[in-house]
Amino acid sequence: MPRKPTRHRRLMNYRPLTFSPFARQAARVASVCTINRQTNIAEPNKSPPKSAGDKLVKNSLKDKNEQSESSDEEEFDGNVQVDFAFFDPKADDFHGVKTLLQTYLDDREWDLSGFVDLILEQTTVGSVVKVEDDEDNGVFALVTALNLGRYMDHKCIIEVKEFLLKVSQEKDVIDDLRSLLGKEAQSVGLLVSQRVTNLPPQLLPPLYDGLFKEVSWATEDEPTEELKNSFHFKVYIIVSKVYKHKNADQKGKQNSDETIIYVKPEDEIFHKLSSWSFEFSLHTPQIVAHELRNYQQMGLVMAVKADKISTFQQQLQSLVEEES
Amino acid sequence: MATRLQFENSCEVGVFSKLTNAYCLVSIGGSESFYSTFEAELADVIPVVKTSIGGTRIIGRLCAGNKNGLLLPHTTTDQELQHLRNSLPDQVVVQRVEERLSALGNCIACNDHVALTHPELDRETEEMIADVLGVEVFRQTIAGNILVGSYCTFSNKGGLVHPHTSVEDLDELSTLLQVPLVAGTVNRGSEVIAAGMTVNDWTAFCGSDTTATEVSVIESVFKLREAQPSAIVDEMRKSLIDSYV
Repeated sequence: MPRKPTRHRRLMNYRPLTFSPFARQAARVASVCTINRQTNIAEPNKSPPKSAGDKLVKNSLKDKNEQSESSDEEEFDGNVQVDFAFFDPKADDFHGVKTLLQTYLDDREWDLSGFVDLILEQTTVGSVVKVEDDEDNGVFALVTALNLGRYMDHKCIIEVKEFLLKVSQEKDVIDDLRSLLGKEAQSVGLLVSQRVTNLPPQLLPPLYDGLFKEVSWATEDEPTEELKNSFHFKVYIIVSKVYKHKNADQKGKQNSDETIIYVKPEDEIFHKLSSWSFEFSLHTPQIVAHELRNYQQMGLVMAVKADKISTFQQQLQSLVEEES
Repeated sequence: MATRLQFENSCEVGVFSKLTNAYCLVSIGGSESFYSTFEAELADVIPVVKTSIGGTRIIGRLCAGNKNGLLLPHTTTDQELQHLRNSLPDQVVVQRVEERLSALGNCIACNDHVALTHPELDRETEEMIADVLGVEVFRQTIAGNILVGSYCTFSNKGGLVHPHTSVEDLDELSTLLQVPLVAGTVNRGSEVIAAGMTVNDWTAFCGSDTTATEVSVIESVFKLREAQPSAIVDEMRKSLIDSYV
């Protein structure tokens, strides 16, 4: 089986001039250290996309690191310049996407690998956010919309449906949910959006704009009628996590703490625009920061009608502009 | 035979377990099916012990051991140490090590005869490895990586190393370790071999993402297809070395 050096291209190009395997190894160890440091420092915008299949929406941002406690000795002055780029999902992204989706269904053991494969196969709708020319091929964010009817025979989708029905047991919206997952599944899209927590919010409007544009392009560009129709979503279902105040149900609470803290800012907008939503408790052990000691992490399921999406996009844009 | 399994949706089986020829450690907190898969394969032969190390579940990366002994990091609590001493067979020496590099599983790769260690391990730790585990110790790197315990795993029959290991390094390591080695991956292309699987002389456990090709490579290099648990194998090896000398 020939071994192809896929990822460490830059490392392979560096051939230290030595004669013995030991010296080569020592030189390589030294070069790994210097190359890792260089990728942290910005590279100017390079133009051509990597392969023909990629659509490249460039977003170069200066990600200002707010820690001003760095000592004078350190080479970094606290600012890290990073070029994020959006790519179509590719099979290579498997591990990165899987890591992001580890806790998607709380602690339930399910066909996560199959779910990730499904996302990566759907190249027409969906984007991953990566860093330009990153050696490690790290995936920073993922967004996609999966038609529940189109994939209803896949084991992972069946498990997602079972999970949603199970956590909605005592809620009044269970009948709505059941019909969305059953009869109406053909027009329901599961909106999957996961990312690293500290991703700059300026990326969100283009990320979501890109997704919804792709959905509308797909209704025209897909090869078959059936596929075109599968992207005519009427409702989006979103599964996410929020922090809810532990005393939220008590009446007349004195403090000015917010009832719900949204980890992802767009969740707040979706929640307001949703037709219905419910929270469910999580089983995974949680490490809670001191500031969040009065809060408990809960799962949140929302159903958002597709015609509310343009409102969502406008509100997201203004939210991000406020915050920056 | 290689068994595929998962720990709570994670395929990094070698992080949550430690398998040797004399015992098997399994992390607490995973679903019962993780523990029972090990039990099903190993229960009649070696003890399967549930434990944590330093209150964490990543026991496979924190400890290093073989049939002679088990080395634990300084973060191990007294209760955990006692629990392990009580649960493991008497001939296994359980020792806590004061070492700055506390993820011993990432720094040490060993079988019953040889150990490869991180180049910056303390002298005293190296001596302790040689004493407690009864092995010959070599400081090495694997494909330029200093965390030898993460990027390779080997038993007394064979070994699997980082996919980018050059052919010369492979030969050199194979001579040191006296077992056949193969450069390969586990868990659908993951290079962190020892995190993705755990192996002893007659069985292996790998993550459920491991492809059929990877499994067949594992079964062939570790000679798992005709293997059976037995002390006879050890006896044979000693006599072979004697006759070579």
